[in-house]
Amino acid sequence: MNPFDVALFAAAIRLSVPLLLAALGELISERAGVINIGLEGMMLFGAYAAFLTAYATGSVGLGLAAGIGLGLVLGAIMAFVSVTLRGDQIVVGVALNLLAAGVTLFLYRLQFGGTQPTTVKMEPYAVPLLSDIPGIGPVLFHQLPLVYLAYVLGPVVAWVLYRSRRGLRLRSAGEKPEVLDSTGVDVVRVQWGAVLAAGALAGLAGAFLSVGQVGLFAENMTAGRGFLALAAVVFGQWRPYGVVAACLVFGFTDALQLRLQSMGAVPQQVWIALVVVGVLVAAVGVWRARRSGSPLRWVLLGAVLCVAVGGLGAALVPGFTLPSQFWLSLPYVLSLVALATSARRVRAPAMLGRALPARS
Amino acid sequence: MRRLAALIPRADRRALRGAAVSMLAVVLALAASLLVIAWSGAPVGDAARAMWDGVFGSPAQFGATLTKFVPLVLAAVGWVVASRAGRLNVGLEGQILAGGTTAAVVGLSLSGLPMAVHLPLAVLAGAAGGAALGGIAAWLWARRGVNDFIATLLLTLIMTQAVSWLANGPLEEPTGTLGQTSPVADSARWPVLLARTTLRWDIVLVVVLVLVAAYVLRRTVVGYRLRLTGANPTAAKATGTRTRLVGVGALCTSAAIAGVAGSSLVLAAPAGNLAPGFSANYGFDGIVVALLARNNPLACIPAALLLAALRQGGGLLEARVGISSGLVTATQAVVILLVTGSAWLVDRRRSRPADARPAQPQERVSEGAHS
Repeated sequence: MNPFDVALFAAAIRLSVPLLLAALGELISERAGVINIGLEGMMLFGAYAAFLTAYATGSVGLGLAAGIGLGLVLGAIMAFVSVTLRGDQIVVGVALNLLAAGVTLFLYRLQFGGTQPTTVKMEPYAVPLLSDIPGIGPVLFHQLPLVYLAYVLGPVVAWVLYRSRRGLRLRSAGEKPEVLDSTGVDVVRVQWGAVLAAGALAGLAGAFLSVGQVGLFAENMTAGRGFLALAAVVFGQWRPYGVVAACLVFGFTDALQLRLQSMGAVPQQVWIALVVVGVLVAAVGVWRARRSGSPLRWVLLGAVLCVAVGGLGAALVPGFTLPSQFWLSLPYVLSLVALATSARRVRAPAMLGRALPARS
Repeated sequence: MRRLAALIPRADRRALRGAAVSMLAVVLALAASLLVIAWSGAPVGDAARAMWDGVFGSPAQFGATLTKFVPLVLAAVGWVVASRAGRLNVGLEGQILAGGTTAAVVGLSLSGLPMAVHLPLAVLAGAAGGAALGGIAAWLWARRGVNDFIATLLLTLIMTQAVSWLANGPLEEPTGTLGQTSPVADSARWPVLLARTTLRWDIVLVVVLVLVAAYVLRRTVVGYRLRLTGANPTAAKATGTRTRLVGVGALCTSAAIAGVAGSSLVLAAPAGNLAPGFSANYGFDGIVVALLARNNPLACIPAALLLAALRQGGGLLEARVGISSGLVTATQAVVILLVTGSAWLVDRRRSRPADARPAQPQERVSEGAHS
């Protein structure tokens, strides 16, 4: 039985979209020097606000707007405490996570008392003509409308970060705020903007989970996706297209994991795919090492591991299974390995997690 | 009034101001949650009584509060140790999981040992397990330049899955249906301190550990170098402190303390076994405690007692008045936001007339970099 079918790839796209929305917001915020550990909480709040509004009004659009709105409010709290008052960013993020878990649990139980009502949800929209392309058509162009927004968001963020004055200021705020300050730009304002953008996108990502996909809310329904988005920023090495790729990889492993849970033994194709990935990684690694002199041994080690595990799995295939926890932890392991192997060349923004110096 | 304040040494005044801000934050947050209870339509009096009974209502309840106090205060001290050295150990939760797992493995696999050997061995294994996970993060930080908070956070997320796998797979109890391990050997479990409560002897170890941590930080050269590294790494390096080594040591020590907390959560729990999610957010709540205590190890004790009471009382609140325990979580979050947001209140120094006091020497070394 081949697990790599159209449904799998469509699911991979659908699972990566909330990650992508949240992670691109987080990228903006981190490039401006503010790390937002509270991403998970912002998503959860966004999901809840969107659900409540859609439940009350019966409108998906208003629900999404409410998700964005609450995300903005939380972004404002984050920015006020960590940027204006110069409180510790990490700690504020932890607080936001606790706040979201507590408040949504409390209000949801209070309002619905153990029942789980459903509400309207977004309907898929098939793009005319494009969705008829065999193969990629149904995967890419028969999706929820928000997915199409996510397609263009990556290039937009990349353009803003690298090609606009705003983006230059934003990146300077994350690397050398005192220089930005000396050119007469208000660094606090730049960081506020970045954090607000991150909040809005996180709220939208949460709204996508509740109103976009299922039309209901569940306690702790983000289930770690905020942390996954954080990991995607790290794995994407703080670059827009890197983050997009990371989200796609994470979404794909998630979809694969869900599929494999229903299949028992891991099918042969998965192992073969692993070997292919290993070879590809090795090829890309060699190519890039010749261009930029990156440490080749780590890349090759990863590739050899992929090939070896894939080959072994293919040889031992009958009855050999991997626990679902392996797949669930894979994104985090990948992120850590990516960080560890490329740390000297690729690094986090210099001001990440640090308060601005006080102005005299 | 200004005269009176001048009689108190500056450092003490700062500490007093810090304590006042922490208390004010707690009072404000509690008042806000009472308002929320009133708004939700539940009787406030009953809710307050349920809260009180949850903490002090019976010896069993009070014992349960103290049981929750143990991991909280340990996690908090772990945070303090790392944070005083300028390192952010956000992965206490994962280190608790790691420590609990190694302690459970030692408790399960060895048998026939006397308690005097087995129990300390299991606790040490917990410390080693926590330190090992912290050590990975420390290595990534020191050798590969990875941010300490990113490394510890990612390791926590990995550890959560690893424990879930271990408890459902290799370490699962013989019938293989419950998704948790069998109880550890009796010789590896902490004896009961108060009969008919969940309180066990590990609370004594905790108090000792806190006192040792406070003493080392305050009165020894190692502690001085650690605080210096956190307060001013450049100065520390210039005066011959190996700041990277201090950072690694602080992260590992912090993780080891969290590991002990994890071992307590297994070896002193009523069930005495390893189940997924046994860390129950203690690692993150420990950060709240440390903040309330303004990174002072001794102040962690009252702060942890307070949060343990909130946790324990919140349980009864749910059972009796039907108010979800989410409110308690939210209250904690408000406390953090208030304390973090008011750090500038404590740190502020009035600008003085230039002639009043020339050239204040740097005296902030006794405080951590993060408040």
